[in-house]
Amino acid sequence: MSIFNIALTLFLVANPIGNSPAIIALIKDFDFERQKKIMFRESGFALLIAIFFQYFGELFLGQLNIQQYTVSLCGGVLLLLVALNMIFSPHSGSTVQTKKKEPLIVPIATPLISGPALLTIIMLFTQKEDPFKISIAILIAWIAVGGLLMFAPYLQRILHRRGLGALEQLMGMILSMMAVEMVVQGLTLFIKSL
Amino acid sequence: MTIFSITLVLFLIMDPIGNIASYLKLVDGINPKKQRLILLREMLIALLVMVIFNYIGEGIYDLLQISDPAVRLSSGVILFLISVQILFPNLTGLRENLPKEEPFIIPLAIPLIAGPSVLATIMLYAHMEQSQPVMLVSILCAWIAALLVMLASKPLYKAMGENGLMACEKLMGMVLVLIAIQRFLDGVEQYVATF
Repeated sequence: MSIFNIALTLFLVANPIGNSPAIIALIKDFDFERQKKIMFRESGFALLIAIFFQYFGELFLGQLNIQQYTVSLCGGVLLLLVALNMIFSPHSGSTVQTKKKEPLIVPIATPLISGPALLTIIMLFTQKEDPFKISIAILIAWIAVGGLLMFAPYLQRILHRRGLGALEQLMGMILSMMAVEMVVQGLTLFIKSL
Repeated sequence: MTIFSITLVLFLIMDPIGNIASYLKLVDGINPKKQRLILLREMLIALLVMVIFNYIGEGIYDLLQISDPAVRLSSGVILFLISVQILFPNLTGLRENLPKEEPFIIPLAIPLIAGPSVLATIMLYAHMEQSQPVMLVSILCAWIAALLVMLASKPLYKAMGENGLMACEKLMGMVLVLIAIQRFLDGVEQYVATF
């Protein structure tokens, strides 16, 4: 496979276009400049995690006796927690605005951008191909993903406040489905391994 | 299991990086020499507690007739809940309501360093790992690593800032979630195998 092929696959798996509405819903309470900063930082962390998993993923999981299906289950469970929080958010009913804590690493960098699917695919590619080539591919894919995600804050200008409130609930629902899908995939692998 | 993997798991669960901020808050205003003394004392108490639980772990499961799958399932669940608290910190957590006076045993030694998850894990490993020296060496290694991180807490805090430390802690939290879910699944696997 050529570098471009790998990069395209990684880009599609990271799914920045599908993820950006969810990400917007997560960071809607911060002002525009802050959102851009958060997006930049989170994509940086996502890249770090991806590169780390490419070189040390197998060694690391092996040392801790962690199977591949656990990665998928773990991503699913964490995402489900976030999604439930979005749907049944304790503040959504009241008009009082409390200052929310900034999302750091969880849930945007992982499991949304560098999710279990991406990490598993990176580890699979690394077994077959030249690791340096994969790193370049990750970097190319990351530039595209990061570029798209940096545009996500602009979506907010189009949607305004009320739109975002509705978006949060809707995206919570979609995220919970994505999360359950990850859990189901992990469980399938687990049951097969029994 | 190798010494390295036990040490790594114990170190991650002790979560020294996450404890730096609470430690600095606790000893704020006490002079630096005394701070170091307090830290050393608390760490020694934590080590003692861990070693005691290591020996308890040997026999207690047989005494209470708890089966292997149950041990794994329960410690998986506890570890999962604790790591979720690291990943999504809330206001009712342990670290938000620290007492103001000088720490003695509570809260620094127990539960910040030798918390329920560490003790449960040590008991579990003591039960699974047959050779005692391996367990003791790994506990000691993890403890030394944690001590070094805690001793360097001030420079670390200055170099990385509160956000940097939190980022590190979250990454470790991710690893803990992985370990927790894996342990839970191991328990399920063992349980299914008993049929």
